[in-house]
Amino acid sequence: MSDSPPGPSRPPASSLGDSIVADWDGSGDELPPPEWGRPRGPRRAATVWLFAVLISAMAAANAWLAGGMEHEAFLAWATVFTAISFQALPFLVFGVALSAALTAFVPASFYRRFIPRNPMAAVPVAGLSGAVLPGCECASVPIAGGLIKRGIAPAAALTFLLAAPAINPVVLVATAVAFPGRPEVWVARLLASLGAAVVVGWIWARLGKTDWLRPPRNSHAPDATKAEVFRDSMVHDLIHAGGFLVVGAIAAATLNVAVPREWVNGVGDLPVVGVLVLAVLAILLSICSEADAFVAASLNAFSPTAQLAFMVVGPMVDLKLIALQAGTFGWGFVRRFVPLTLAAALVFTFLIGGLLL
Amino acid sequence: MNRIAQGLVLVLLGAAALGTTLASDLYLNYVQGYFRPFLIAAGAVLVVLGVLVIAADLRAAARGADADDAAACGHGHGAEGGPRVAWLLLLPVVSVFVVAPPALGAYTASAQGASSAPDRVDLSEYRDDPFAEAGDGPVELEMREFVSRAWTDEERTMSGKTIELTGFTVPNPEGEGWYLARLEMACCAADAVVNRVLITDEPAPEKDSWWRVRGTWDEPEGDLQEVRDHRFTVEEMEEVENPPDPYE
Repeated sequence: MSDSPPGPSRPPASSLGDSIVADWDGSGDELPPPEWGRPRGPRRAATVWLFAVLISAMAAANAWLAGGMEHEAFLAWATVFTAISFQALPFLVFGVALSAALTAFVPASFYRRFIPRNPMAAVPVAGLSGAVLPGCECASVPIAGGLIKRGIAPAAALTFLLAAPAINPVVLVATAVAFPGRPEVWVARLLASLGAAVVVGWIWARLGKTDWLRPPRNSHAPDATKAEVFRDSMVHDLIHAGGFLVVGAIAAATLNVAVPREWVNGVGDLPVVGVLVLAVLAILLSICSEADAFVAASLNAFSPTAQLAFMVVGPMVDLKLIALQAGTFGWGFVRRFVPLTLAAALVFTFLIGGLLL
Repeated sequence: MNRIAQGLVLVLLGAAALGTTLASDLYLNYVQGYFRPFLIAAGAVLVVLGVLVIAADLRAAARGADADDAAACGHGHGAEGGPRVAWLLLLPVVSVFVVAPPALGAYTASAQGASSAPDRVDLSEYRDDPFAEAGDGPVELEMREFVSRAWTDEERTMSGKTIELTGFTVPNPEGEGWYLARLEMACCAADAVVNRVLITDEPAPEKDSWWRVRGTWDEPEGDLQEVRDHRFTVEEMEEVENPPDPYE
């Protein structure tokens, strides 16, 4: 009983919201004549009413609960969930703002000028430019699509896609903050991620075929002003990445509270298995790269190499990225690209982890 | 999820970040204190962005245009089902405004169980010799500092000194006494680690109640690495209101 109270406010909200969304999405395909523009009015009103009901329900539930919540496991879960969401939030907002600024204010020709035409030479340049240009992995997928569309070699764009979310300054600062007094951790992360991204790019440049990639579509209205592009890409990235971030926080909090420490400690003691377990965990949790260092730091029963695997694999391969890549480039691409990336990430994790950590 | 819903979700999420930092100290239950300015900035950005999106959508509605279509759905999200997951952004909002989860306490501390001697203890962040400054008076130590010293004090220099510790009560289901514990946090509550001392000469207070105890280290015989629980002999103890920052 005690862990159900937030329930009443949530399920109706999401199911009602989903039905509205379904209607909304469906109506876009019918291309109504211009004079039918008005029927959207009531939908907006319905959305506003929905949120008014939601806020009232939250206020009522809050008053009704008022300190009466006693279920310890649920409260611990809620605390850890809120904690992960909150510490990730500033990094997400900051990263998304920078990535939106790049999308809106830096023309594509800027990238083209700095990236060589020869794919083999372009790959390391693209990898290194990932270290300068911040972006959440959710943002780097559309950016890579845009680069390919503007004539950058696919191998270089894919290297950028892998490197940018893993080694950009925001992520490295977050990693340094999460592992205070241990600079070797963020250095190892930088080297392993960059190495894996460049190697994947070279293999793709040598073996990749153009028709494995579905050409990306245009993502912005051609006549939008720069401020509109900035606003819209920021909202777009926040809405997309944010939802998946919450999924990750739910999963991480559940693992944190529900899995007894002895189990985790038991697995964490096995060197190679621990690395593979955290690599799988990174794929499943799909935590945004701006926040994953904090989660990795909390998995302190594992070896540093296993924690490194979590931070190297996560930004390159995870469920949310696979979904994004399939949507952008097609499944034929994902089927080849994801196993290659995972293998490269693991090899470099063991290599760099063994050398530095 | 239509544009106006996206805007409202962002505004609510921003309000949650601002409400827990500006209107209360609730954020200290979840993250380190230094997150405050970043949470405020992120919350403000989210609120402004949400308001802008709502305003733009209402303007488009007033024009009778459907300008939002191109921006909202340039690459086929309907097919991916992507935006639906964004409704989950309301979950943190519900969490802080409805549940307002408290700081982690005895439940987490007992679930973590006993810690073993750490591989390396770094005392460099603490004062060199806190006891020299205080003379004969009591010395207030953070729980984590006391435990770190107790694990490395081969010379037993800490024995006999009067020490003050603050923490919450954790029952000991396996044997005698109870624990005074404190959670150490690097960043957020997800990485909290428990430090605790075993107290056997006082009856156990109510679980999760906060106490300041004054007493001495019950120094163990033999190898410090073999110690499972550091014992503490209480001279006097008083109940305290929850400290403003529950973690250390």
